[in-house]
Amino acid sequence: MAVPQFRTSINEYLEGLPETVLMRLYSSPATCLAIFRLQPSMAQLVVMSMLFNEKALPVARLNAWVQDSSRLKQYEATAKLQSMHIIREAGGLIALQKTFRTSLRNAITGGDSNNSFGIPCDTEDKHKVDIKFLDEHANSQWELILHYMVGTGTGKVPNNGVLQLLKRSGLMEGHPPAPMRITNAGFQFLLQDVKAQIWTLLLQYLNMSEDLQMDAVEVLHFLFMLGSLELGQDYSLAALSPTQKIMLDDLRDYGLVYQRKSSSKRFYPTRLATTLTSDAAVLLSASASLDSAITKTDSEAGFVILETNFKVYAFTESPLQIAVLNLFVHLRSRFSNMVTGQITRESVRKALANGITADQIVTYLTVHAHPQMRKSVPLLPPTVVDQIKLWQLEMERMKTVEGYLFSDFKNGSEYDVLANYARELGVMVWENRSKGLFFVTKEGNQQIVDYYRRKIQGIK
Amino acid sequence: MPRAVKGVFVECDPSIKSLILNIDSKSHNVIVADLDDEHLVIDERQVENVKRQLDAQLAENTFNPAELDNNPEK
Repeated sequence: MAVPQFRTSINEYLEGLPETVLMRLYSSPATCLAIFRLQPSMAQLVVMSMLFNEKALPVARLNAWVQDSSRLKQYEATAKLQSMHIIREAGGLIALQKTFRTSLRNAITGGDSNNSFGIPCDTEDKHKVDIKFLDEHANSQWELILHYMVGTGTGKVPNNGVLQLLKRSGLMEGHPPAPMRITNAGFQFLLQDVKAQIWTLLLQYLNMSEDLQMDAVEVLHFLFMLGSLELGQDYSLAALSPTQKIMLDDLRDYGLVYQRKSSSKRFYPTRLATTLTSDAAVLLSASASLDSAITKTDSEAGFVILETNFKVYAFTESPLQIAVLNLFVHLRSRFSNMVTGQITRESVRKALANGITADQIVTYLTVHAHPQMRKSVPLLPPTVVDQIKLWQLEMERMKTVEGYLFSDFKNGSEYDVLANYARELGVMVWENRSKGLFFVTKEGNQQIVDYYRRKIQGIK
Repeated sequence: MPRAVKGVFVECDPSIKSLILNIDSKSHNVIVADLDDEHLVIDERQVENVKRQLDAQLAENTFNPAELDNNPEK
């Protein structure tokens, strides 16, 4: 559900890069493979058909392969590939970009010579860790960030780099050391699945790295390399550039990689990293265990029951889910496998005051509704949904605009001249000609006054 | 010569407007101009005060089930 979202976002980022940067990216086989895996299947088909074919492909032949009903998909795929400079269309022929072709061939045939897939350590690690440990490590690091965002109060605070990233990405606001608060965007972030969350943060990291004069190409190479590493294998730092070693420190904080010590000469990718560029199907099977461990949900099985009397029963043990619920539910009692609570005016107002919208609450409850709830149509009790929305309206009972009220006009024409000018400027808030009153915004006032002096007094 | 008065323009329901009128009737320093049923201009220093008083008055009329926590059902 959230997978297409992250896909488009990283794809959009790539599409936005200039051609020269993309060409440098395509020099790495691992990166090409990762980008290839991120494409929609139609685009993959187009690339594959040309990969081992030196000649350019006539557009007519491609058209013949695709059924008319899927024509739209075909155009989307070719447009995407073109904007990423992977293919070039000229004179009815489609050609695959040479660097991309060479690198992807290398990736597939194993002819890679520049270690873009990472170098496994050839010496035995005295402190070898197993996959279970890596999963737990990734889990605890990632949960630490999420817990911090919802303010569960575990007492632990993520490293400064993580805090900076959260703040920069607009997920939280406030000035450390003062406690930061979750924003509207942050709440939406929590509603996404883990992978979308990681990509959201990594894209922000990419933006931030550009400001820090880090080379975006190296950052992307490293991220895409991580996606093709093998879980449970230790990799040597020797192949990494200085920029990538700096990145390693940051990624350790997110739980994407594990290093026993920061001076250690080897690192282990965790499941969060190795599934970065994998397909949705792989996400469900391979990392489902981790997913459920972190969020205790998947899209099929929800856990929240909402009754018409505003009572909420949530079958979850995850402190994180409970903390998320606590953002807008007045929680009452906790049992070994469930919590109960009630949606009240106060609890919703608290959430609204934190910048969470009524729609977000309703979406959350819909997405996480217990299978039992799915039998009823509509899914959520309309009374509760309406009331939550009414509570939001209640917060916005008064719409206020700062500005100036104009009155005491000499005659109708003076009113018309000034009112017309205010309308042209787009600063008019309210007007009533018969009463001879209008209200303009604070910004518009000075312009109206100047205009009055110029036009009306000037004429006299 | 027209007059320009500084203030905060408020757009609200007639019910809320009557509450604001009620707040004004106590101190007479809130409302700058009463425009029509749903619009008025108030003193910018009084905006927060008005919002607070409105919240308080609206809260009085709401049933808060959380209070039942202290008197559990049998």
